[in-house]
Amino acid sequence: MKHSFLDKYSRLDSPIHRRDPRAKIVAFLAALLIIVTEPRGEIRSFLFYYLLIALVLIISRVPVLYVLKRCLIVSPFVLMAAGLMLLSGTPVGGEATATLFGARAMLSLSIALKAFAAVVLLTLLTSTERIHRLLEGLRSLKMPTLLGVLSAFMYRYVFILSDEMMRTTRARMSRTPGRLTTSRFTTYGNQAATIFIRSWERSQIVYDAMCSRGFRGSFPLRTALDFRWPDAFFLASFALLFVAVRVFA
Amino acid sequence: MHIADGIIATEVCIAADAISLGALYAFGKKTEAGDIPRMGFMGAALFVASLIHFPIAGTSIHLGLYGLAGILLGIRAFPVIFVALLFQSLIFQHGGLLSVGLNAINMGAGAMAGWLVWKAGRIPESIRAFSAGFIGILLAAFLMAMEFQITGYGRGAFFIAYIYSIAAAVEGVLTLTIINFFRRAKPDILEYGK
Repeated sequence: MKHSFLDKYSRLDSPIHRRDPRAKIVAFLAALLIIVTEPRGEIRSFLFYYLLIALVLIISRVPVLYVLKRCLIVSPFVLMAAGLMLLSGTPVGGEATATLFGARAMLSLSIALKAFAAVVLLTLLTSTERIHRLLEGLRSLKMPTLLGVLSAFMYRYVFILSDEMMRTTRARMSRTPGRLTTSRFTTYGNQAATIFIRSWERSQIVYDAMCSRGFRGSFPLRTALDFRWPDAFFLASFALLFVAVRVFA
Repeated sequence: MHIADGIIATEVCIAADAISLGALYAFGKKTEAGDIPRMGFMGAALFVASLIHFPIAGTSIHLGLYGLAGILLGIRAFPVIFVALLFQSLIFQHGGLLSVGLNAINMGAGAMAGWLVWKAGRIPESIRAFSAGFIGILLAAFLMAMEFQITGYGRGAFFIAYIYSIAAAVEGVLTLTIINFFRRAKPDILEYGK
């Protein structure tokens, strides 16, 4: 079982990787909030935001190509939104027709810049911390218990079910190679149904086993998180740099 | 259909986060310890099933299965969809972190609508199953278009929502196929969400 799409590069060693997950969650969320609340159409400050993000990227040692690939994944949706704003958006204020296209173009650009900055920040967050520690960080930051427990379950079983899907996909492809036809919709549907049925049956076995070990609806934290002075320094400096760009740029 | 951060106005995203946390409390408060592993598994299954891509017209689309989530989990579908979206946001950057509430409302509403359609007992099961899958996607797409319009993107987003009706039809057929498979192989799975 090896699925590198989950928290790839989170085992690298860098000053960012070594920080407490709670410091990273709060710092990246603060940066995200500062960037997305930037007034629409304002693009000058993004030069500084991207410089800061690039600095974090270099320090974290996460490959640039990997981050660019992540941006590529979301680019159709972002470009669709930017395109919509360009073609039919309504900029704030009553610009004359001659400047309307220009105003829309600035809005489109600022939307795309915000969205890609947010994607890079999220990619950096999940590439510099293992998912289970991020979830533990979120739980210790008072994420609702139901979300915490459901997340813990999903994280554990998404690997097993991914294996299940790979097996059923291999079986499907070996039996029905070639182009998609109407009859193959049934094949895809049956594959999804098989995954659900196996999950259903396994959930009962797992629940019985957990009850026998004393499960009462919540998990204790797996490892104690340790928030130290360097984490506080990282959090404060990271957030302050983004605040400074917002205020002074 | 997963809205990234920075696309929709931040005020709308934060309001949606607050609403979805309220919905999470309302739909999740009756959850018992025994439901949690099942919800976690079904959430993981939804997550994994959404990785199945199939080719259509030179491109490929992936399953959403919001209607199916409503059929299988009933009102418990909302917390499961919320967590699945949180995962997709963190792992694949499909959808933003600040806009996770907005995405949960869109897709959770699709699941709830699918559940209500499925509960309409007098209609033949095959029609209910198709409609649940179809509405699950289409409602989510139209809610997304409405949010785009509120934020000032104009009415163009509704054109994209119409395009999603093709994906909704495909999803309807797949939901019907899955329900037929359940009926043959494991009918008790369909009783849990009622």
